[in-house]
Amino acid sequence: MITVDAVTKKFGSLVAVNSVSFALQKDEIVGFVGPNGAGKSTLLKILATYLYPTAGGVSLDGIDAIREPLEARRRIGYLPGDTPLYHEMRTDRYLAFVAQAHGCSGSALQERLAWVTEACGLADALRKRIKECSTGYRKRIGLAGALIHDPPVILLDEPTHGLDPLQVVDFRKLLRKLRPGRTILLSSHIISEVAQLADRLLLIHNGHLLADGPVGQLCQKENLGESDVEGLFLSLVRRHEAQKKGGNHGA
Amino acid sequence: MERSPDTLRVRQGGPLGVLRGIRVVTAREIGAYFDSLIAYVFAAVFLLLAHYVFMNGFFLSSVLEMGEYFQALPFLLALFIPAITMRSWAEERSHGTFEIVMTLPLRSFEVVLGKYAAALVFYLAVLLGSLPIVIMLLCLGSPDLGLIATSYLGAALLGALFLALGLFVSGLTREQIVALVLGVFACALLVLSGHEKVVEVLDGLAPTWQVGTWLYESVSVLPHYESFCRGVVSLADVVYFALTSAFFLVMNEVTLKLARH
Repeated sequence: MITVDAVTKKFGSLVAVNSVSFALQKDEIVGFVGPNGAGKSTLLKILATYLYPTAGGVSLDGIDAIREPLEARRRIGYLPGDTPLYHEMRTDRYLAFVAQAHGCSGSALQERLAWVTEACGLADALRKRIKECSTGYRKRIGLAGALIHDPPVILLDEPTHGLDPLQVVDFRKLLRKLRPGRTILLSSHIISEVAQLADRLLLIHNGHLLADGPVGQLCQKENLGESDVEGLFLSLVRRHEAQKKGGNHGA
Repeated sequence: MERSPDTLRVRQGGPLGVLRGIRVVTAREIGAYFDSLIAYVFAAVFLLLAHYVFMNGFFLSSVLEMGEYFQALPFLLALFIPAITMRSWAEERSHGTFEIVMTLPLRSFEVVLGKYAAALVFYLAVLLGSLPIVIMLLCLGSPDLGLIATSYLGAALLGALFLALGLFVSGLTREQIVALVLGVFACALLVLSGHEKVVEVLDGLAPTWQVGTWLYESVSVLPHYESFCRGVVSLADVVYFALTSAFFLVMNEVTLKLARH
C-alpha cells in the first residue's frame, strides 16, 4: 500500500531524512517513532505530498506520489503535527470544505459527515466554531478531516499529543476499528504509547531508519524483554551513535 | 468500519474539475472574509474615506461627476488592498493550515485562483458600496453615466491588479504585518511613480536620464487607470491590467511550489 524507496530529504546542508526505505501493507497499523527532530514529521510530509523529497521515490496504493500528487492525495488522510485548523470556521463547515475538496458532495457528503461525526464523537462540536472547541475536540476534528473521504492510507503525526488519558483510550479504539482495509501510519516521540497500538514499529533517529518490524521481534533480536521498547530504542540509538563515531574516527 | 474498496470511485463521481476546485476554495475564503473583523473594518473605513473624498470635491465644485473620487481611489486602494490580502497566505503559513490546503487534491493554481476570486468578490462588494453616490447624482441631475461606468471598470481592474500583487506578497512571508507593509510599499510604488509631482522631482534630479518619465511610462499603473477615468476603454490598457495581474498570480503559484522543496 505504501512503498518508500531510498527517500532522502535535505534542507540546505542538513539531511533530515537519509535514504529511508520501507513498505507497508493493507490492514496494518504502523508506529513511526523517534525523538524530536528525528525526521518523522519530514517523512510524513513527504508521504502526504506536502514536501518533495531530494531523492528517492514514494508509491501510495500503486500511485507514484511524486509524479501524480493529486491522485495520491485522494488516497491519503493526513493529520499534521500541530493539528492546524481554520479556527474561525464551524466544525461542520470545515469538514464539508475538506470533503468537497476531495470531490464529495450532495448525499455522499452528508453520509460521510454523519460517519465521521459518529466515529470521532463530534456530535456536540459540529455546530461550534473550531476556536470554541477544546484541544481534545480539535484533535478529533483534525482526525475527522483526515477520514472524511474514507482514504485507504491514513497518516497521523503525533495524533495523541494534547489528548487526556480517556481520549487516548478512545483514540486507540477508533484506530483499531479503522484498521480493516486501510494502512495507518502514526508517528510519536512517546515510544511506549505507539507500541501499545502498532503491529509494527519503524524506529528513526537523525534521519536514519534504525529498525523495522513487530515490537516483540525487535526486542527479541536485541535480547530484551518482549515489551521493553524504550530499552530497544536506547540500544539501537547508542549502537548507531557508536557506529557513526567509529566511522568519523576512521575517516 | 471496514473500508469499502470502491468508496473512492463512488465518492468522486469523476475527476475533480478545475472549476470545482476553484469554487470550493473561493467559497471557503469568502466565508473567512466575512468571519473576520478586519474585513468589516476595512469596508467601513474605506467607504467612509471614499465618501468623504467625494463629498469634499462635490460641494466645492458643485458638478455632477465622480472625478475626484476616482482620482483619489488609487491612493486609497494602495493602502487598503494589502489589508485584504495580507492574511491570504501569511495566516495559512503561520497557523499551519497551509499544510492542510496543500495536501488536499487541489492544484496549486486552483488554490491561488480560488483565493484571488474570493478577494475580488469581496473587493467588488466594497466598491459597490459607493453606488449610493451614483444614485444621489442621478437624483440631482444627469451625470455622464458612460464616464462613471468606465471609471468603475478602471477601478475594478486596478483593484484586481493590486489584489494579485497583494496575494503574491502575502505568499512570501508568514507574518501578516510584513505582508501588509510590503504590499502597501509595492502598490504605492506603482501609484506614486505615476504622480505628476513625483515625476517632476525625479526628472529634475537627473534631467538627462528622465527617470521620472520612464517610471511613469513603464512602471506606473496611473496612465493606464486614468484612461478609464477619461471615458476611454483601450484594449491596450485592459491587456496591461490582465497580463500584470496574471503575472503576479503565476509568481504566487511559483513561490508556493518553491516553498515545498
